[in-house]
Amino acid sequence: MASKTPTSVRIRRGITLPILLLVLWEVSSRTGLVDPRFLPSLESVAITAKRELLGNDLIFDLLSSLARNLGGFLVGAVLGIAFATVLALSPLAGRLVMPTFNGVKQISLLAWIPLISVWFGFGEQAKIVFVALACFIPVVLNTYDGMRDAPKDLLEVGHALRFNARQRFLRIYLPSAMPAIATGIHLGLIYSWLATVGAEYFLAVGPGIGGLVIAGRERFDMAMVMVGVIILGLVGFTLNRLAATLENHLLRWRPPRTA
Amino acid sequence: MAVLTVTTETDAPSRLPYPWRSRAVGLAVALVLPAALLILWWAASDRGWLAAQILPHPLDVYQTLRDMVASGELLYHTAISLRRVLIGFAIGAGFGLALGIAMGLSETVEDYVKPLFLAFAQIPTLGWIPLLMLLVGIGETLKIIIITKGALVPMTLNTFAGIRNVSPRYLEVARALRFSRWQTLRLVIIPASIPFVFTGIRYGLTHAWTSLVGVELLASSEGLGYLLVWGRQMFWLDTVIIAMLAIGIVGFVMDSGLNRTERLIQRWKRNEI
Amino acid sequence: MKLSIALRAAAGAAFAFALSLQPTLAADPLVIHVGYAAIGVDNRPFAEGTSAATARAGEFLEKEFANDPNVKIEWTFFKGAGPAVNEGFANDQLDFAYQGDLPALIGRATGLKTKLLLASGARKPSYLAVAKDSGIKKIEDLRGRKVALQRGTNSHLSAIKILEAHGLKERDVQVVNLDSAATVAALTSKDIDAAFGDTQLINLAAKGSADVIYTTKGDDPRFGRNAGIIAREAFISAHPEITHRVVDAFVKAAQWSSDESNRAAQFELWGKSGTPIPILEEYFSNDTLAYRNSPLIDDLLVSQYKEQAVKSKEFGLIRRDVDLNGWFEPKYLNSALERLKLKNFWQPYGADGKPTAS
Repeated sequence: MASKTPTSVRIRRGITLPILLLVLWEVSSRTGLVDPRFLPSLESVAITAKRELLGNDLIFDLLSSLARNLGGFLVGAVLGIAFATVLALSPLAGRLVMPTFNGVKQISLLAWIPLISVWFGFGEQAKIVFVALACFIPVVLNTYDGMRDAPKDLLEVGHALRFNARQRFLRIYLPSAMPAIATGIHLGLIYSWLATVGAEYFLAVGPGIGGLVIAGRERFDMAMVMVGVIILGLVGFTLNRLAATLENHLLRWRPPRTA
Repeated sequence: MAVLTVTTETDAPSRLPYPWRSRAVGLAVALVLPAALLILWWAASDRGWLAAQILPHPLDVYQTLRDMVASGELLYHTAISLRRVLIGFAIGAGFGLALGIAMGLSETVEDYVKPLFLAFAQIPTLGWIPLLMLLVGIGETLKIIIITKGALVPMTLNTFAGIRNVSPRYLEVARALRFSRWQTLRLVIIPASIPFVFTGIRYGLTHAWTSLVGVELLASSEGLGYLLVWGRQMFWLDTVIIAMLAIGIVGFVMDSGLNRTERLIQRWKRNEI
Repeated sequence: MKLSIALRAAAGAAFAFALSLQPTLAADPLVIHVGYAAIGVDNRPFAEGTSAATARAGEFLEKEFANDPNVKIEWTFFKGAGPAVNEGFANDQLDFAYQGDLPALIGRATGLKTKLLLASGARKPSYLAVAKDSGIKKIEDLRGRKVALQRGTNSHLSAIKILEAHGLKERDVQVVNLDSAATVAALTSKDIDAAFGDTQLINLAAKGSADVIYTTKGDDPRFGRNAGIIAREAFISAHPEITHRVVDAFVKAAQWSSDESNRAAQFELWGKSGTPIPILEEYFSNDTLAYRNSPLIDDLLVSQYKEQAVKSKEFGLIRRDVDLNGWFEPKYLNSALERLKLKNFWQPYGADGKPTAS
């Protein structure tokens, strides 16, 4: 659906509400219309951000969260693709395992926190395992579906050419499942960020943006909470864009998707 | 090995004369793994390979489950969680539907609202919890707002996508037939976007359920999430496992119910066209 | 088999993954993992109010092993308090820990293989603070109100005993499970009506953000809380010599902590946890340091733990009976008292709470 409205107008419209909100925010916190404890002025949020950045370990917190996120994501994605491949390529394994997997995935991710913390303790590994689990589930589901949907005619061609298992995997299953795997990885990246925050909230105390937000709440420091929440949003946004760009790049050989 | 051959041959269920039979076989195969895991769990606990502080004996879990069902405790916490989710979901889905329709129908509304909406949607639900705790405290309001947010985002985005995905050809036909705006909406746009709305409902409910667990873990004195925390604090892994099962079963029932309805609607829509 | 490659790859990955999850094997430098069932203000890695906190801040363990470059001490402080310590023991991630009575009993009931080596922070008082304008004047007023406590900690058990003595059951109040820092935030913002705890509540009251309406101090001592140094059995049997020296260090810390001439210095040391010194003075007012910091496993302590076990079962906090026989392991403590010539330093108490002739 091509838009008839010029871009400049759209941008103007797009920033109207945010600017209005910011003005309203600033005015109400300055005039004391709202308790500044609940709505600190923009200035005090900026000051807090500066304090956390220069005086405290904001960068270290951010890096810790990102490292945890990426570590868990990598473990989850690699294991997920491997696991789903085995299940998809062996019909029996798939039928044995997938129903159980589909049942287990219904347990909300956060409900795993107590068991993970009992099984893996208070170190970094418990957090990584939790993030990996968050990423594992969507990667498995999408990879499995993608491989199961490998075109039958291609498989017949492979049969005629006497492809061995390796060739079938590399030349048929993997390429035709690529878009689905990319979707799974994209989702995995989003979920692993959510899980990183969850791990920092509910598992042992350690450096991280999630911990920063919780600490801000405990100190009744709304500005600090806001700084943390904004960072959570920015990182989520960046990861999302990164995944989308990567997805497009990896799938550039494919004809553009029809709407 | 005989079992193996039988099951692999039922690979194409549609060609079989007795679909119920292949379904029964499928179900039987599906139950093999859970059964095997249960036996393994049982044996491992019996023989002490698995310490009770890592995984309690299945009999202990069963005993606790029976006690919790008999005392009404499990039902009580489940009912509270369900109530929260349904209220939050109803509000979130309602707003999401309205917002999605408004943005879908009017480009002006879209231009004004969507960037801000997307910016808010980027922040994980868990991130909002501490912020809202400061604003509204740890009472019922907090839970409802968080669940509402969980349902709102997918509902809005899917409704919006549904309306935008109405084929331009349909709209042309509507124009040729000189439909009024209301008729176009009622006869063309709404029917065409229903599957998307349904996807929104499904994701919305799933997100609402996940958000509920998150908010109940952080601040609650009842509900299934609280049961998890309680079990964790008291080192009652049997309670933890039961709470996990309850969360999974409720999630499963909601999801498969909606899934079925969604398929029904899609079939009905196909027949219509 | 066609799938062998994929399977082997998956198995390889799983194996590598499993390996990566193994707790780092303490091969050459022996790392002694010490846990503490509390955390300082703003998550500072320090605590206060116990001889174990003194050992930490005064580096008694580090000094004990100063000449052994192969032995490292690693402290972990738990926001999740005693229940989190149990998770650490379950994973063999802790060798020693300061832990309160209820969580230690829960761990024992669940099958954790631990021993209690000496007392530390036993006889700690509990406090009940209420939000400003909550209208709560006495414990009976708590009925139906929102009361914060951290479930599964010794403060939880103490709270239930206090409620019981005033005709209330846990179910009669709306219990909100919050850790110490979250309690402070919730009480300040009046999200909850009352909370059980200790120094954080005295501090809040001193700031005028809440009122302390009750303390076990001066009341029936059985309402108070107990705690001690718990050790993992496997570690003790693998390293009996190291265990002796660890206990020595804790006993030396207890001795320093019990010396009245160190009162001011000690509060300053504990101040590292972020708790203001006047609050600590208040916390220890009318108590001798030797009474609060005694490491002895005397009849009073043993009977207290036994009673806590019975009460915990009665209140439904523990589902199975806990067998405490053999759990107390005073061997290391006694040897330390002997070698450090401290046999008569602390006054033992009998089960009735009265001093016994030794």
